[in-house]
Amino acid sequence: MTKAGQVSSALIPPSPLLLTESKDEFNLIRDNLNDQIKPRGIIEQMYVEDIAYLVWEILRLRRNKAAIINSAFRDALTEVVTQLLRNPGERNYQLKGNSEKLAREWFSDPDVKKQIAGLLREFNLDETAIEAEAFRKSADDLERIDRLMASSEARRDKALVCIAQYRGDFGALLRERSDRLVDGKVLKLEHAGSKERKPAA
Amino acid sequence: MATERQIEANRRNAVKSTGPRSSAGKRRTRRNSYRHGLSVGAAGRPEQVERLARKIAGAGADAMVLEQARAIAQAQLDLTQIRRMRASLIQRMAEFGVLDTPDPLGTFRDIKRILKSIDRGLPWDLSVPPAPSMPSSEPDRTAEAVRRALPELLKLDRYERSAAARRDRAARLIVARRTR
Repeated sequence: MTKAGQVSSALIPPSPLLLTESKDEFNLIRDNLNDQIKPRGIIEQMYVEDIAYLVWEILRLRRNKAAIINSAFRDALTEVVTQLLRNPGERNYQLKGNSEKLAREWFSDPDVKKQIAGLLREFNLDETAIEAEAFRKSADDLERIDRLMASSEARRDKALVCIAQYRGDFGALLRERSDRLVDGKVLKLEHAGSKERKPAA
Repeated sequence: MATERQIEANRRNAVKSTGPRSSAGKRRTRRNSYRHGLSVGAAGRPEQVERLARKIAGAGADAMVLEQARAIAQAQLDLTQIRRMRASLIQRMAEFGVLDTPDPLGTFRDIKRILKSIDRGLPWDLSVPPAPSMPSSEPDRTAEAVRRALPELLKLDRYERSAAARRDRAARLIVARRTR
């Protein structure tokens, strides 16, 4: 980072991460963004820091979304297996122990996995039924996570637009000012040239 | 409107009441007007705001640009504070599994219920039910913490959006001012 960048990073507080998250991975994302955007000035640096944080937040939410579905999977498996095993007149609590055991063993015992697949086939179902139940169980949480993700994505995109706008408008301003300077110089040169040329003419 | 006599009486009574005396009482009332601290934001750190604002505005900036730079600085520091709070909420949830410790005497109704049980000679219990268990390994633990903190995270998101909007608006105004 440049000297100016170091000054700015002392002024802009670093993005706070969770204790379990890797600072190195975050820095890698920020460095990549810095390389691509090449921020000029503290406002652009602020936006880059912001975009890095928002990208990180989106990744965090995506990871959590997958973990939430996975953790709902075992409960969903128990639920579906209970439904598959139940005979008319039987109560859920009578089957609960057996269903929970099968759901536990599904993850480690291939025979149990086959057994449950067979049960599912008997009812014209497949493993998608378990996934759908896991989704149903965690739908409220997933919907909230999606809202947070959409919000972070919108802000990330807005920050990118803001950099472009800021750079565009500010760039136009700088161009205009430098043009004026150049024009001034050109005028002077022309003036000087005409002065020089006059005696020759 | 209060009469002179009433005002005088209020003053006399106010002198008698100097607030809680015990350390527990003082601890309880210390944060009476405090809700989440987000509305205070960077306003509680004026020097930091000023330093950042001057850096944003640059040397020789006019008063209008400096004012917008202050708005950017304030919003940026607010954003950091909100994000720090988000990380802290998730961390606390991962540690304890809950954010609010249930208090068996938390409401007037709870106290009434316990007193009624005592009056009737019925058994009563002040123990706090244990928090629902958390997964022991990562990344499931953090995911569960995020899941449980979702309502709070959505509230923080609203604050974050508003702070980002304030900063963007001020940045646009600075450019508009400079290009004039």
